[in-house]
Amino acid sequence: MEQIPQDSSRQEPPTPGRFAEQRPQRVRVQAPQDASLTVSPARPEHTAEEFYVRQLIRSQLRLACAVAAGLLALLVGISALLVFWPVFEDIRLLGLPLPWWVLGIGMYPLIIVAGMLYNRAAERNEERYRSISRG
Amino acid sequence: MASLLSVSSLVLVCLTTMLIAFHGLRLSRTTSDFYVASRTVRPWWNASAIGGEYLSAASFLGVAGLIVLSGQSGLWFPIGYTAGYLMLLLFVAAPLRRSRAYTIPDFAQIRFEGSPMLRKLTTYLVVVICWLYIVPQMHGAALTLSIATGFPSWVGPVIVAAVVCVTVLSGGMRSVTFVQAFQYWFKLAALVIPTIFLLGRAIPEHSSSGHAQALYAQLESANAMNLYETVSIILALLFGTLGLPHVLVRFYTNPTGQAARTTTVIVLCLLSAFYLLPTTLGVLGLLYTPELGATNETDATILLLPSRLFEGFLGDALTAIVVGGAFAAFLSTTSGLVVSLAGALSQEFFSGTVRGFRISTVLATALPVLIAVVTNSLALAGAIGNVFAFTASTICPLLLLGIWWRSLTARGAIAGLLAGGISCGLSLMIGTFLPQEDEIWIHLLRQPAAWSVPLAFLVMIFVSRSTKRSVPANVERVMALLHVPDWRAKF
Repeated sequence: MEQIPQDSSRQEPPTPGRFAEQRPQRVRVQAPQDASLTVSPARPEHTAEEFYVRQLIRSQLRLACAVAAGLLALLVGISALLVFWPVFEDIRLLGLPLPWWVLGIGMYPLIIVAGMLYNRAAERNEERYRSISRG
Repeated sequence: MASLLSVSSLVLVCLTTMLIAFHGLRLSRTTSDFYVASRTVRPWWNASAIGGEYLSAASFLGVAGLIVLSGQSGLWFPIGYTAGYLMLLLFVAAPLRRSRAYTIPDFAQIRFEGSPMLRKLTTYLVVVICWLYIVPQMHGAALTLSIATGFPSWVGPVIVAAVVCVTVLSGGMRSVTFVQAFQYWFKLAALVIPTIFLLGRAIPEHSSSGHAQALYAQLESANAMNLYETVSIILALLFGTLGLPHVLVRFYTNPTGQAARTTTVIVLCLLSAFYLLPTTLGVLGLLYTPELGATNETDATILLLPSRLFEGFLGDALTAIVVGGAFAAFLSTTSGLVVSLAGALSQEFFSGTVRGFRISTVLATALPVLIAVVTNSLALAGAIGNVFAFTASTICPLLLLGIWWRSLTARGAIAGLLAGGISCGLSLMIGTFLPQEDEIWIHLLRQPAAWSVPLAFLVMIFVSRSTKRSVPANVERVMALLHVPDWRAKF
């Protein structure tokens, strides 16, 4: 967790003549004119390149869908479980029924862990793409 | 005494916000500064800013209010708000950052440059969504100020609008980023301090078994939502976050697509930490202010709790802290929305100049104040839930299919936006006039997300399939732009 901000600062190109070290580098970007928003219709020169990009998109999509499906199944599953099987209401922890603990606190660590795992896997996919397309 | 403390805490929040904004003024010079802070904001700053912007009146006041109103079902809202961010990370964060677009209409234009019609339609949708989202903030401001100080209800919205106008006009996005980041930590503190004091009083009182029994009866008595409503709200919140214009614009201030993902994970942590507090306060509300559930003023729970548990100065001071935090919530969310809204308006009608942005800012804040003053507030979290349902049925399918499906056509996108927007919007409108009865068609109209989101997706896919020939010629290049890491470094 601690390393993450450093990682991104490492990716910034060094700026010659920066007068304040801690001030972030300014990149001058034009206001979006119509011209800057057009992406040329020309196809990439290498069809292999196109193939690798398709592979990358497919693997990223598969990964994202898997995590999203898991999340959705978990949330809908829990809400259905609570409706059809209310026996959990009777289990109490420090005076509060168990579902209150699960919904009020228990879901958040799961969401954070899912996000971190996804992040790592997505970066691995991009790493793979980079090594293939350069090689 | 009580109102004096609250007013001074309110003034303090407004002054600090404006001071940070003026500090930012010296740093911003170009048009792009005004829009996206020149894309060089660090992940931690940016994550705090996103947290500050996202935690609105609905999160600060509404979550606890909903728990008092509907018990355990209210817990789904903060889960949905957080999980919605996970969906954003999965499908949108990195590609959208790489797209070079500043706003959702810009994205529509990059993906379908041959369709100015689609760009216009998304602009109008963004404007509608922002206004729908600002109005509940104004309602929150009216409620907070009239409860804490007894001022008439138009004062709160006018203060929020004035401060937001000044902050946005003075520095645009860059100063807004600083303001938002500060406001996340301020909101967190404004709930942490009262929660610690209240728990310190409540836990010893309720450790005996008789009191535990009373709590249990209280938890049981709240009227819960049924399964359809719960699932529909989960869907609306999960998919609605993807399409929020003020949230999306934040991702353009990350330097790279990877940094956008890092930022999002930090945001997940910040949101999770925050939502534990309104949840705790909601449970305390069930114990100490249960009568609010009957009066439809549950959003006041957090504001009233301190004075219920503590008498004299301590109660007043804690109330003042909560009032300050609540105003930080209204200010940060509203300024984020106003930046997006003014950006969209000025691009559409003033060809993107700084002067146009300033005129649009005034327009963007004035109208919601008027609407808020003449209308009555719903439950805040419920009103925001409706906006999420609307974005989930419109902007969300456009982004998801636009980013991941190369066969999407402009006509398909337009048809889907219209189908989702009209069906969801109409049923929400009809739903507000219907009595709250337990019949399935009423639930279908009041919580449309479960059917309107799939409908929008299906229409987009179906119409795109039948207009296959008009898939843009540059789709491969655009897809590469969205998905290839470090595009700039390579080309």
